Amino acid sequence: MTSLLYELEAVRHGYGNAFTLDVPRLVLEEGASVGLVGPNGSGKSTLLRILALIEEPREGIVRFCGAAVGHETRPGAGGRRINGRSHLRRDVAILLQDPYLLKKTVFDNVAYGLKVRGEREGLSARVGEALEFVGLPPGRFAKRRWHELSGGESHRVALAARLAVRPKVLILDEPTASVDRQSARLIKEAVAEARRRHGTALIISSHDQVWLGGVAGETLKMYDGRIVEHGAPNILCGPWRPGENGLWRMALKDGQAISAVDPPRPDAAALLDPTSIILTTTRPRGVSAQNALGGTIASMTAEGKTIRVEIDVSGLPLHCTITPPAAESLKILPGRRVYVVFKASSLHWY
Amino acid sequence: MAYIIEGFLKAWELLFTGHPETYSAVAVTLKATSLSIAGSLVTGLPAGFCLAYCTFPGKKFLRALVDTLLALPTVVVGLLVYAFVTYRGPLGKLGLLFTIPGMAVAQIVLVFPIVVSLTATAVEGLDRRLRPTLLGLGARGGQLLSATLSESRFAIFTASATAYGRAISEVGASMMIGGNIKWHTRTITTAIALETGKGEFAMGIALGIVLLLLAFTVNWTLVLLKRRS
Repeated sequence: MTSLLYELEAVRHGYGNAFTLDVPRLVLEEGASVGLVGPNGSGKSTLLRILALIEEPREGIVRFCGAAVGHETRPGAGGRRINGRSHLRRDVAILLQDPYLLKKTVFDNVAYGLKVRGEREGLSARVGEALEFVGLPPGRFAKRRWHELSGGESHRVALAARLAVRPKVLILDEPTASVDRQSARLIKEAVAEARRRHGTALIISSHDQVWLGGVAGETLKMYDGRIVEHGAPNILCGPWRPGENGLWRMALKDGQAISAVDPPRPDAAALLDPTSIILTTTRPRGVSAQNALGGTIASMTAEGKTIRVEIDVSGLPLHCTITPPAAESLKILPGRRVYVVFKASSLHWY
Repeated sequence: MAYIIEGFLKAWELLFTGHPETYSAVAVTLKATSLSIAGSLVTGLPAGFCLAYCTFPGKKFLRALVDTLLALPTVVVGLLVYAFVTYRGPLGKLGLLFTIPGMAVAQIVLVFPIVVSLTATAVEGLDRRLRPTLLGLGARGGQLLSATLSESRFAIFTASATAYGRAISEVGASMMIGGNIKWHTRTITTAIALETGKGEFAMGIALGIVLLLLAFTVNWTLVLLKRRS
């Protein structure tokens, strides 16, 4: 039986008056590997900080490995909060989006987590191992100081510091947002290796869905502070560039592009309602819709009276819902080539 | 003009011939300031950290109060401490009046707000990511304090140097609490005040130069420390 790693109940959090995060319920099992996607400002970082136990939600309960660490909103329930939190927190390591290195050497940075835990046995071996993990040879890097590193190197040193403590849960907030491709690959390998060796659970947010797909087993979509599951809108994150006929285009990997009308910003995120999508098996002609994209059916799941269809459009996952008669007449099955048709004006700007 | 030049010459003479009275004043000065700096750092660093790091009611008021105390006149400190440590005062039994520890107490009162205020400013100026980073790496309690102070160490060196400068140069409190007793509680500054009062300008200037040399040595040591860390 797998036990529960996290159990969040009625967790709400925000800064100022508004709530920017609202999670009625979230359960993650031990050893989970979860990807978190969603546009900027959708509450990913806030959720990750709460899961890392470094931030306390304003309302609701967070249970980590069975122990309640959030607080209840009922008055008088405050007595049972937090006491063991700093102890529990040591099972979780979080790498922030823009990691901060202590003003110390690389070695001392990586060793810090072990030192505060009082784990001095084999310290330098474990630091060396962690640095090897992220592709930084200790002989060349251990003695460097915090300001003698490139951006990608600092990021990997920070990751090594989290790997060195062998946490039960490793949380990464946008680990690939500001690093080069090689660093992104090294981060992926290091994280996968930690999972193989120590069974580390992973919770990772990223805009790079392809990168994330290679690391995370399941994906949670977030939008506007909520975890949106099935039936939720597709999220298209741009970037948008001016194209023909006054339309804007978001280029996909193999030359296809999605057309849209008047994005507010080049990096704006667009929402595409699954019900706005029409599926066809032949390339449509003579339709007014500007978007007719070729893709492959990735999966089909029955959801009540409809079928949820996941389509891989040049690496971009889109989903829509169709009725069983429609599925029958189209004769679609996973693996089948289809065309995804929707109007440029059906995109809603976030 | 002649007595100014004479003062410079006299300074070398005092320093290099090992003039016992001068060296006694230097020793008293160093003892009192070392005690007071140690005392104010031990109490002021955690206090400044808390003032910046913790949230509690009245925090802004306290901060304004501490900043006001930066300008505390030394004679007022001398007066206050005197009232406490005089033989009739509440702390009279400790026998601090006219002793070096008594002078150090007065200097701690004087210098403590400087250490608190500059430490608080340094901690407030730290990167906002530091706290979540330390928490995320598993630091807790005193580990947060020491890591935060370590991250702001350059600013804290500056705070220490400023505090030291204030302690070594003050004259009012040392005069009132120490009593300017020769061989016993006479510091460089109280000696300068005395020599100037007697019209011995040369001696006063000489002692002033000694004081500056001392302050420079302390600051230069800090510069070297900064470079190493």
